[in-house]
Amino acid sequence: MKGFMGIVKRNLMVYFKDIQAVIFSLLTSIIVFVLYTLFLKGSFVNAINGAMQGLESFIEAGDVEVFANSILLSGIMGSALITVSFATLNTFVRDKETRIAEDVLTTPVSRAKIVTSYFVSSSIASTLMTSFIFTVGLGILSASGRIYLSAADIVKSYGVIALGAVSATAFLMIIMTFFKDTSASAAFFGILSAAAGFVIGAYIPISEFSASVKTICNIFPASHVTVMIRNTLMNGVLSHMNDSIGGVDNGEFVKAMKEVFGFRTEMMGKALSLSASGIYVIAIAAVCIATFVVIYQKTYKRR
Amino acid sequence: MNAIEVKNLVKNYKNFQAVKGIDFSVKEGELFAFLGENGAGKSTTINMLCTILSKTSGDVKICGHELGKEDDKIREKIGVVFQTSVLDPKLTVKENLYTRGSYYGLSKKEIAARINEFDESLHIGDILNRRFDKLSGGQKRRVDIVRALIHKPEILFLDEPTTGLDPKTRKEVWDYIMELKNKRHMTIFLTTHYMEETDVADRVVILDHGKILCDDTPAGLKTKYSSRRLLWYTPKSKINDEVMASFTDAEKVTYEGDRYIATLKGDALKFLNDNRDKVTDYELLKGSMDDVFLNLTGRELA
Repeated sequence: MKGFMGIVKRNLMVYFKDIQAVIFSLLTSIIVFVLYTLFLKGSFVNAINGAMQGLESFIEAGDVEVFANSILLSGIMGSALITVSFATLNTFVRDKETRIAEDVLTTPVSRAKIVTSYFVSSSIASTLMTSFIFTVGLGILSASGRIYLSAADIVKSYGVIALGAVSATAFLMIIMTFFKDTSASAAFFGILSAAAGFVIGAYIPISEFSASVKTICNIFPASHVTVMIRNTLMNGVLSHMNDSIGGVDNGEFVKAMKEVFGFRTEMMGKALSLSASGIYVIAIAAVCIATFVVIYQKTYKRR
Repeated sequence: MNAIEVKNLVKNYKNFQAVKGIDFSVKEGELFAFLGENGAGKSTTINMLCTILSKTSGDVKICGHELGKEDDKIREKIGVVFQTSVLDPKLTVKENLYTRGSYYGLSKKEIAARINEFDESLHIGDILNRRFDKLSGGQKRRVDIVRALIHKPEILFLDEPTTGLDPKTRKEVWDYIMELKNKRHMTIFLTTHYMEETDVADRVVILDHGKILCDDTPAGLKTKYSSRRLLWYTPKSKINDEVMASFTDAEKVTYEGDRYIATLKGDALKFLNDNRDKVTDYELLKGSMDDVFLNLTGRELA
């Protein structure tokens, strides 16, 4: 166990000591933040204002701001779960390339533990980084004076982050087997960084996509996790808004917001409940873990 | 007692046999050199012995443990210095050594004690807190050796450990290897491209196309597969056919530049004594491992 923990610690140190790699692993999150500051916030607020016509006297501008900022935060967190997991797993490819993997193979740590150590360290790094983002985001939201999250919501958010990190890492572990060197994985990371923001609906709400595109986006567990984060972060502010409206609109405003900003995932035209999304994420993680155990037993054993 | 015993070791890849049934053994405390060109099967063999690759067939025992069945026990007994550094560039020397030590279940206290032991001969105390990628080539190699020895292995595998190092650093590394052999009686398994480095080995095995060509001491190999040479400096005009004919201990004589080079099959003393008025200077060269390799394979080691 000591050897296993030693490798986990080493993998984490390799990631966190490389400041450049840490920044690049958050590139999508940074881009989401910059785009939000430049124009996404404006379009989100316009969409919200459009939906609240006639209700302006009930809803405070500050709450609209909190709502839009929370959409941003969920997008940043969702993309970080994907890109940080990939960046830390890249150590696995780099180790094969630089023969560090061979050095580890000469130690008494079993091959199964070596492979598992990459999975565990990546899940930890992804959880830590996303939790850090969430904590900072929470701090900023609190500083604005309007926070509608209960202690239970906050604890739940960290739980969803951990689940998302595990599922994203398990999913990416399988993809990692195909890379022989870091130039190939870096090329893929470029594509992944660009696609991640769209897949989780950080740039454009998934509701804007066609049913088939929605289904494709929602194959990825990260989309479901982002939706779960969105619900946890924003149900408070939505119910506050609903209370402020006082039932004048029969709950239509909140319903519209949930539809536009993707509070449910859809597959094959059918909306999934949050618990169904949770089960899907856990199931995909379990299937991916089982698959990579089989794959790595074949590829990481002595040839 | 043998530290390593290899019997009929074979490694097959899909359409290629890299190692073709080799046999050898390495005694405890021996410095054993494994020579061969790229593609000869050296790395495949060393990787099998270090449990990185699996063997296709054959029996291998390392420190009494059977390869393929007791690999974990073997891994506790071996340390490997790879051709290139396998430590993390962005971590400090200390972080690298502590993480690697933990792979063997060593506590921080034990690792610190080991590092202290090495400081005396490898002088790594001053560089412990420096990032690994900021070290010079020699410093990196010293840390690589400490990493390989951190868990007190019984056998040290050195895979071309001095390739790319400057002469001063090469000497430092070799001084330490000899210290390990002479003072700590460690078994050392070495592969190298530098033929002269094998001169200090207790035994040398030359591998070619997956087969062992010879297995002997450096002196034994030189006696069997190389000849001494006499170089003497004298104007060509002073040596006539009669003088040449009298040099019966020479196998072949050539004139290059300002000197004669004779490949000896016997003694050169009589010839030098008889012609001391004509020979202004001379050198007697022993056969080298280069000659051994050339004579055995018909090729020079690249």
